[in-house]
Amino acid sequence: MRLDDYIDGLEPDEDARRRRLAKEKSYEVTEYLEDFERAFEESVQGGDLFGSTSPSVFVGRSGYPDVSTGLLSPVAGDVDPESLVTDASWYGAVGIDDVVQRRSSLLNSNRRADVRDAGSLSGSESVHDAWNGFLGTQREVAIAGDPVDVEIGLDGTPELDLSGGEISAPRGPRARANRAELAENPYVPRPVKKTLEDDDWQAEGAMTYLYRRGFDVYEINNILSAGALGRGENRRLVPTRWSITAVDDTVGQFLRGQLRGTQSIDQVEVHENEFMGNRYWVVLAPGKWEFELVEMKAPGSIWNQGQGEVWMGAASEGFEGRSGYVDETAGAYYASRLGVLEHLAERGRQAKCLVLREVSDDYWAPVGVWQVRESVRNAFDDEPGEAEDFATAVRAIEPHLPVSTNRLRRKSSMVSGLQSSLADWT
Amino acid sequence: MFKAIVSADTLKTTLDSVSVLVDECKIHLEEDGLEIRAVDPANVGMVDLSLSADAFESYEADGGLIGVNLSRLEDIAGMADAGQLVSLELDEETRKLHIQIDGLEYTLTLIDPDSIRQEPDIPDLDLAAEVVVEGKDINRAVKAADMVSDHIALGVDGSNETFYIDAEGDADDVHLELDRDDLIDLSAADAHSLFSLDYLKDMDKAIPKDAEVTMELGEEFPVKMHFDIAEGMGHVTFMLAPRIQSN
Repeated sequence: MRLDDYIDGLEPDEDARRRRLAKEKSYEVTEYLEDFERAFEESVQGGDLFGSTSPSVFVGRSGYPDVSTGLLSPVAGDVDPESLVTDASWYGAVGIDDVVQRRSSLLNSNRRADVRDAGSLSGSESVHDAWNGFLGTQREVAIAGDPVDVEIGLDGTPELDLSGGEISAPRGPRARANRAELAENPYVPRPVKKTLEDDDWQAEGAMTYLYRRGFDVYEINNILSAGALGRGENRRLVPTRWSITAVDDTVGQFLRGQLRGTQSIDQVEVHENEFMGNRYWVVLAPGKWEFELVEMKAPGSIWNQGQGEVWMGAASEGFEGRSGYVDETAGAYYASRLGVLEHLAERGRQAKCLVLREVSDDYWAPVGVWQVRESVRNAFDDEPGEAEDFATAVRAIEPHLPVSTNRLRRKSSMVSGLQSSLADWT
Repeated sequence: MFKAIVSADTLKTTLDSVSVLVDECKIHLEEDGLEIRAVDPANVGMVDLSLSADAFESYEADGGLIGVNLSRLEDIAGMADAGQLVSLELDEETRKLHIQIDGLEYTLTLIDPDSIRQEPDIPDLDLAAEVVVEGKDINRAVKAADMVSDHIALGVDGSNETFYIDAEGDADDVHLELDRDDLIDLSAADAHSLFSLDYLKDMDKAIPKDAEVTMELGEEFPVKMHFDIAEGMGHVTFMLAPRIQSN
C-alpha cells in the first residue's frame, strides 16, 4: 500500500475515540477494592488463606539483595487465576482499568529473603537448593505449567496501597506471609524440568532454550525470577522488573544472532499500531540491522506529569548491539526490540528499524512493559504502508508526531542518518 | 617461513590499529613486510595496514599467511616494556607462533585464516576534499562531539577554505572550525558527511596524537584517514562508511 493511503486509513474518528477514552478512565477500581476486602475476609480463617490458586510470583527490587518475594493469588474464589496473569493474550482484550483491576485482585503474600539464600525457613542453603519452605513453594508455582493450589499462612491483614506515591505498575494488596505450602502436586512442563535439573547451564542459554521450545517471555520471566535458571551457584531470586528486561534482552540477542547473515528486506515499510493511549510507528528500511526506540511522552501522561513540553528519550544500537544500559528508555527498549526481531525472524530477513512511541495523556496508569511488547508484536498484522526511502517515510509520519521535525532529528540517531556500508562503494 | 624481531612499541601500535575494528585478522607475511586488511562485521569500518621490513630489527618472511587472535597477541605484547624487543617465529608444522620477550616464552596458537572473515575489497573512492590535520585535533573534536551526540559531521567548506566538525545533540551543539593556518594542508572542495561516533572513537584511539593525518572527504561519502606509524616505516589507512541523511 502507498504510505499516504496507509496513513489516511489510520485517521481515527475523534469523537468515538474520546468517548471510548472517557469510558476507560472511569474509576471502577475503588468500587472493586471494596469487593476485594469483603472477599478477603471470607477467605481468611485464623490467619490462613485456604483454597487459593496461585498462578504467578513476584520479586520486589527495593532493598536488593534483601528483597520481598511473594506468591500472587486471587482472593475471590470465582475468578480464573490464569486470566489474572499478564501475558500476550491481554493485547487488545483489556483496557487500562482492566489491568489495574486484574492486578489489584491478586494478593501478594510475601516475605523478605536474601536473593542468594532461602532464608531461615530452610536453613542457609543457596537458592538453587531451596525446594522446601516458602521459597520452595514459590519456585514450584513459578515453574508450574498451570496455576497451583496453595495454602498460605499470613501475619495480619493485607495492606491495600493503590494510591502509590512512587510511579510503578499498579500493584495489588500485600500481606506478610509466614509460610506457604503446596496443596497439590504441580504439573511442570518437560523443557522446564530439563533447565532446572541442569545446573551447569548458563541462564542465557536456558532462557533461549525455553523460548525455542515455545515458551513465551512471560513464562520464562517467572521461572528466572524465582531463581530456577542458571548455573547452580549463580542461581538467585531476580526482581521481577529486572527479570523481564533480562529475558527480553536475552531472547532478542538470540534472534538478532539468527538474522546476522540473512538478506535484507527490499523496501521501506511503515507499520502503525495504537493501544492503551500509546501509539507506535515502526519503520523498517533495507540494510543491515540497526535499531532505535524514540519515546515521546505527552505532558499529563503518567511518566511526564508536569506541564510543558513533550518528554523525549531515545536509545539505539548498531549491527553488533549495544553495551551500555539504556538509561532513557529502560525496559521499553528491549520489549519493543523483541517485537521487531520476532517479526524479522519470522520473515528470515534483516532490516534497519526505527520505533517511534508516542505516549498520550490518555495513558493514565502505567500498565507495564508488556503493553510495549505486545503493541509492537501486533503492529505487523496488517499490510504496511510502503515508501520510496527512509527519509520519505519519516517525513510522512512527522506531521502525526507531537514533536517538531527538528527535535526528532536531534534526538534520533536514525532520523539524523542511517548507517551505510562500505560495500555500497565497491 | 617467518622470523622477526621488532620493538614492543611498534608491535603494539600496529596491533592497536587493527584491534579497534576486529578481534581476529589475517596477517600477510610478505618478503618486504607485513600487510593487514580487515573490516568490522557490519562492513562499516575498514583498516588497511602495511609495516615495512625496515620497521623491524630483523625480518625474514616468504609470503606466508597467518590468522591471529588480536587481543591475545596484544596481551602478550603488553608484557613487554616500551623499549624491549619482541621476537616472533612461526613454527610451520604446528602452526604456532613462538614469541619471546626477554626470556619470557609464549607459544600462541594461530587461527585457520580460512575461518576469519574475508578481507574486504577496498572501495574505489574519488574524494574531492583533502585536509591534513594533527592526530590531537581529531582527538579533541571526537571528544567534544561525544559529549553531546552519537554522531558527528565532518566537512570542508570549499569557498572559506575551512575544515569543520559539527555535532548536534538533543540540547547542545559542538562546532569546531580549522582554517588553512590551523591545518597542515588543505585541498578545498565542498564536502560533508555524517559518521557514527562509536566507530570514529575507536579509530581515534589508534591514531597517534602527533601523527599527521590525511583526511579525504566527500558529500555523503566514506572518509579515508591515513597516517604513518613506526617512524614512517608503516602506514595505516582507515575507511569509514557514513550515516546517510538524504534517503
